[in-house]
Amino acid sequence: MHCLLIEDDPVISGHIVNGLKAAGIATTCAATVAQGLAQGLAKGREGAFDSVVLDRLLPDGNGIDLLRSWRRHGPVPPVLMLSALGSVKDRIEGLEAGADDYLAKPFHMAELIARVQAIARRTGPRDEAEPAVHSVGRLRLDPSRHAACFGDGSVDLNRKLYSLLAHLMLHADRLVTRDMLLEQVWGYSFSPGTNIVESNMSRLRARLQELRIDPILTRRGEGYVLLAGACR
Amino acid sequence: MTAQPHWPAVMPAAPLHGGTRWPGAGRVFFLFGGLFTVAMLLMGALVFVVATRAVAQRIDDDLIHHEGKFLRDAAGRPASSAAVAARIRDWQARKITSERTYSLFGPDGRQIAGRLNLRPRVGLSDVLFLGGGRTWQRGRALADRLPDGSLFVIVQHSEAEAGLRAMLPGLVLASFVTALAAGLGATWFFAHLTAQRLAGTGDTADAIAAGGDLARRVAMDGLDGMFARQAESLNRMLDRMESLVETQRHFASALAHDLRTPLTRLRASLTASPAMSLAGDEARLRDVIDTAMRECNGIIAIFDALLRLAEIEGGRHGCAMADLALDALVEDVAETMEPVIADAGGTLVTGPIEPAIICGDPGLITQLLVNLLQNVATHTPAGTCARLSLHRHNDTVVLVLRDDGPGLAQGDGRRVLRPFERGRSAADRGGSGLGLSIAQAIVQFHRGRIELGHGPGPDGRGLEVRVALPVSRTA
Repeated sequence: MHCLLIEDDPVISGHIVNGLKAAGIATTCAATVAQGLAQGLAKGREGAFDSVVLDRLLPDGNGIDLLRSWRRHGPVPPVLMLSALGSVKDRIEGLEAGADDYLAKPFHMAELIARVQAIARRTGPRDEAEPAVHSVGRLRLDPSRHAACFGDGSVDLNRKLYSLLAHLMLHADRLVTRDMLLEQVWGYSFSPGTNIVESNMSRLRARLQELRIDPILTRRGEGYVLLAGACR
Repeated sequence: MTAQPHWPAVMPAAPLHGGTRWPGAGRVFFLFGGLFTVAMLLMGALVFVVATRAVAQRIDDDLIHHEGKFLRDAAGRPASSAAVAARIRDWQARKITSERTYSLFGPDGRQIAGRLNLRPRVGLSDVLFLGGGRTWQRGRALADRLPDGSLFVIVQHSEAEAGLRAMLPGLVLASFVTALAAGLGATWFFAHLTAQRLAGTGDTADAIAAGGDLARRVAMDGLDGMFARQAESLNRMLDRMESLVETQRHFASALAHDLRTPLTRLRASLTASPAMSLAGDEARLRDVIDTAMRECNGIIAIFDALLRLAEIEGGRHGCAMADLALDALVEDVAETMEPVIADAGGTLVTGPIEPAIICGDPGLITQLLVNLLQNVATHTPAGTCARLSLHRHNDTVVLVLRDDGPGLAQGDGRRVLRPFERGRSAADRGGSGLGLSIAQAIVQFHRGRIELGHGPGPDGRGLEVRVALPVSRTA
């Protein structure tokens, strides 16, 4: 995987390059709108980049304008916009300008990597609904009963636990962070400052343990992974 | 460098002045003076017109009266031409000077009696004649035909009216000058009195602008009427400003305190780490890093909450208002928060939940519910039971969250709604201290009310949070 990073702060830029490298993602760096656009247009045509990490405020302009110019010249790889402006309104502006995801500074490296991987995986237009996954291994979802089934057994789940499990199954074997779950399962645009994800996750694990499986792995300080291997 | 008193870089543009300095009249006073002058002139003109008309009427009445005396006999019958001519001659013999002249002309136009050879049309008319055969004079004439066709004429030379007309230019000039002087004088006097009354207000405002001393107030002595009311309004505004600045000061110091605590803990854990062997004790090092991360997250959470509060209070949260089913939202959030409260050792039950549609921002209302339920998880001891219910009363929907925990101390219901204020018990130390402030900002944004009171039990234990929101008009 190859990512184009457009960020002017050398410390943050270095930190991101190291983080992405550790996750097996190669990075090309740019520090200004002009450099970013040049890199993007030169190599972007050959499909060299799978994703773009774009800082919103750059010394010679802003990321939203860069996105617009790039889009006028051709297709743009999936974009994760970074910004110190973290309000809901700023986020909406970023997404409306064509970013695929928006991450406010300060962020956890794990959060950034998980989001870069998530947007790079996406194929097709952003607006398209993600396909529902109804089974991973022997673990199945029964939408009519809001139940999780494993082998012969099944447990009923409330709406939230059901959506949570569905989301984890959709991203099986991949890291899903707490903030991603809050945004995508709960639809919360604010940080609740409470253990919503942790508590619901432990409730879900307890329900799955009734089926004698425990496929959800907690990566401390990073997020959760549903292991497909544990559902066989 | 010696310590210099620090003055603001930009001083007020106008120099500070004493209470009696003349500040200039201003347009309103010139307008007032002009109007006064015009009014005086109009009044003079009116008096002049009324007086002229009264004199003219009097002359006409006189003419008719005297005509009657000449044209009727003692019994009231019409007199003959000969009788009228005789009366005229008799009158001429008796009167040496008079402002009236009588003449009689025969049916053939020949002058039978009288000296003035003037034949105006029948009825009242203005005439011009040679007085004494030398000067042209203006007069008023009354002419009437006798039964035999003779023409009887009375001419009255109106001395009074002529005098009045002669006086006109002088009168107009005099009244104009008087009106102008009176108008300007009144203007100056009025402006001066106003300036005197406003001086106190100006001095107070200047002093506050220069020194920032919000404790100053406009002195009320010597003020009455609208000036007193204006000064009262200004003083009320200053009261409010002082309280706002006080709140701001309190907010800043509370914020500093709330940030200092995690920062101190962060520094303590980081300064302790070099002392231990970094290579040997990996478990402890990881522990230190975890602690540091936790403190960092706490600081970031405070800033997130602060930004969110500013965003909501400034109406910049970016979502659209829509009709939404509050009952469904309450069920949904309760489902999410029930495990959180259970993990904290409490219980959450819901009901009754009556259906209600409100006009609101779904994201904000969700945060409101999450914040309220989070307080149950964070600030009540294990074993606390909370009940969330929703009732509709006419145009209002009331959300009630009641728990049987320790509740708040008397009088804390309003205090804890302010930023960084917490309850007084040890269990209340956690959290950003902004949850209820954000909740209150959300409720106020939706034109609702939030109240914190004690529980319903006989001993008043527990906490009851009531949120009243208006029901959507379109629903």
